[in-house]
Amino acid sequence: MQANPLRPPPSRRTGTVLLRWPIAVLAAVLGLVTIDATAQKRGGAIVMGLEADVSGFDPLTVGIYGPPTVDVASVLFESLTRLDDAGKAVPRLALSWMHADDYRTWTFKLRPGVRFHDGTPFDANAVKWNFDRQKDPANKCRCAAYITHIRSVEVVDPLTVVYRLNNPMVLFPEAAARVSQNTAAHSPAAVAARGAEYNRNPVGTGPYRLKSWVAGDRIVVERNPDYWDAGKSYLDQITFRPLPDSPSRFASLLSGEVDVIFHEHFDHENLARARKDKRFVVHEAPGNGAFPVYALNTKAPPLDDLRVRQALSMAIDKQRLSRVLTGGQARPATNPYGDASWVKCSDDGALPHDPAKARALLADYGKPVEFKLLVTTSPRGRAFGQALQQFWKQVGATVEIEQIDQGGFIPRALKRQYQVIGWSIVDFPDPDPQTYANFQSASATGLANASNPEIDRMLDRARASSDQRVRSADYCEIGRMVNQQALWLWTFQNHSYAIAKAKVRGIPRKHGGVTDLSRAWLE
Amino acid sequence: MGGFVARRLLYLLPVLLGVALLTFLIGALLPGDIATTMLGEDATPEALAELRRDLGLDQPLAVRFLGWLGQALQGDLGRSLRTGQSVAGAIAERLPVTIQLVVLAQVVALGLAIPIAIGCAVHAGGRFDRFFSGVAFASLSVPTVMSAILLIWLFAVRLEWLPATGYAPLDEGLAANLAGFAMPALTLGLAEWPALMRVLRTDLIATLQEDFIAMARAKGLRPSRVLLVHALKPSSLTLVTLTGLNVGRLLGGAVIVEQIFALPGIGRLLIGSIYARDLVTLQGTVLFVATAFVFVNMAVDLAYAGLDPRIRRGAR
Repeated sequence: MQANPLRPPPSRRTGTVLLRWPIAVLAAVLGLVTIDATAQKRGGAIVMGLEADVSGFDPLTVGIYGPPTVDVASVLFESLTRLDDAGKAVPRLALSWMHADDYRTWTFKLRPGVRFHDGTPFDANAVKWNFDRQKDPANKCRCAAYITHIRSVEVVDPLTVVYRLNNPMVLFPEAAARVSQNTAAHSPAAVAARGAEYNRNPVGTGPYRLKSWVAGDRIVVERNPDYWDAGKSYLDQITFRPLPDSPSRFASLLSGEVDVIFHEHFDHENLARARKDKRFVVHEAPGNGAFPVYALNTKAPPLDDLRVRQALSMAIDKQRLSRVLTGGQARPATNPYGDASWVKCSDDGALPHDPAKARALLADYGKPVEFKLLVTTSPRGRAFGQALQQFWKQVGATVEIEQIDQGGFIPRALKRQYQVIGWSIVDFPDPDPQTYANFQSASATGLANASNPEIDRMLDRARASSDQRVRSADYCEIGRMVNQQALWLWTFQNHSYAIAKAKVRGIPRKHGGVTDLSRAWLE
Repeated sequence: MGGFVARRLLYLLPVLLGVALLTFLIGALLPGDIATTMLGEDATPEALAELRRDLGLDQPLAVRFLGWLGQALQGDLGRSLRTGQSVAGAIAERLPVTIQLVVLAQVVALGLAIPIAIGCAVHAGGRFDRFFSGVAFASLSVPTVMSAILLIWLFAVRLEWLPATGYAPLDEGLAANLAGFAMPALTLGLAEWPALMRVLRTDLIATLQEDFIAMARAKGLRPSRVLLVHALKPSSLTLVTLTGLNVGRLLGGAVIVEQIFALPGIGRLLIGSIYARDLVTLQGTVLFVATAFVFVNMAVDLAYAGLDPRIRRGAR
């Protein structure tokens, strides 16, 4: 029995808000026994090569944790839950949880006896303090944008907190699992004591604590001897080094300076090489969502015409795109959910690759098709843009690529000042946050600029339902409508990689792109 | 000499002011603004307006420039939008790495250029000269990115002599420190030596045909003394200029090389601030690098005057 059933629990209504307590201790034990069957060894040190610098951990300063920050935060900090290999939430700082019938109120029982690295206790007040600090408008935290769905956090007793949400969230414990700018539990005492220096002197409850930090070069963490689950952290030390250049990061793994590296399918030659080499293990997991994706502005000619949009969709040969850009490693996406998602569609309504049909549609449209594609100033944005430009040129559409940096890009997106715009569908456990943000008619990031009451209705129904089959069917129908109307175009499914030496064990299945070394050990 | 130095310093003022103005304008003229970057896409117009007021962004450009310049003159380059760290502190943390990289790269470049140039000048037109002129041309044609990857492949992956990436501070031992710098310094040095070698070779060939060299030879001085003492010093003027100017090029090269070899220097700070749109760090770092470049050039001018008395007199 899971703490958070995805299927509707047996209906035992007693009053307006019915709370159901799970079998807490059993879940706590079951959740932690899935890591590695072999006998783990204690001791040793490993080095991980990250793809970029870590700017810090104070949410008020950094706003958002990028992927490298999340990798480091996963050993320093903890959230209330974590995901098991199947993607279900299991206890971490919370021992158990329950929800009200409408899935808008979630009550978490916290683990007793947990202390931050500075010795101060972790309790319900700390949870509320972290949330309030981010939510407080006076603090102007960018991180607040990601907790708009949470109205408040209330302390019931030192080991019980209640989250009150604005909307129903069936998978709230899953959404709270990833150690992020919003979920990491920071020591209130340390934040107060260290002020501006806290950003690079973080204090969490995690199995490792910060030992030293040389800006731009390395972050060294050591085992936390007072960890609440001290028997489950094995390494003496982990060093995180930002190695931004992909080939030299891989060379560092080959020459033995690092033991684990972040990797991407865009560096596919080295990925293929690592797969063949017995000294290494490729840890990879398909994610939910897709990247990059493109929204077609349905209010901007010529994209206001369905024939043009469908032609652009049919012109793209995703298999070929994958071969050219990733050596065939990337899996083409036909919907915004991906094969890893629990949303399973027998028919997602994806339009086929059919250049002849695309040409016919454009001929039927009758006017010249010329438009601009807006992407950010990244090499990848340009590479994809150029590939699409070629596909669309072959069916008779002329595309100009416009690249602007992130600071100018977001306002243009929000003001709908584009014809086609590059975007991404982020890898979250539940499709609701991303589908709602991208497809709901009134959403600030409803970039197709389309109003579709039917999609809105299904979005509302899917988010409020606890029946996964109903939700899956709704999301599939939404995907079908988006595909048939050609409102958005998808390219590749999200897929995350880390390459590790074979002797590094205990790396759990990757979720949301995170490489979690908190229980890693050396053979 | 004192008057010469004072005059050179006076000339620097308008140059530095120009540098400061251009650096300031990077932030002021780029599309998008700091407030949006800091607060994110979901910020309300009121919050944006308030932050702009807090940051002084609602002031006229000239007022903002003078305020920024005043703070910069007091060593306050502001606080990073990304990390909250003081920009001056971040530069100070990373400066030793870049200085060591640039110095070692110069050592590599000069270490290759000077002996090869002497050899070529002495045997001008001979086989040695022709061979190394060819090598210099080839070396000049290989982009830094390419040579860095080839060096990593050879020394880190194949031979396993040197670490592919990374930096060891001096307190971890000189050997570890130099091992981390070897390939980055070699990469930069390989791009710089051909130009140095060529100018020194040309100047030496010209000098060796001067009357005073014939005179020195006639006096029966040892050929090595004629070459290394009498000919090398007057031939090294262009070399000194180019070495000084190279500091600027090397700082530019360091941006790429530090990224490839993961050295935590100024170049990485610059790239990081560009990617993160951390305008405060970007402005501070560019101002620092540009100012450093101006001062290095002045030092070259002064070294010139030391090497050639005609320059001191000409300046009078």
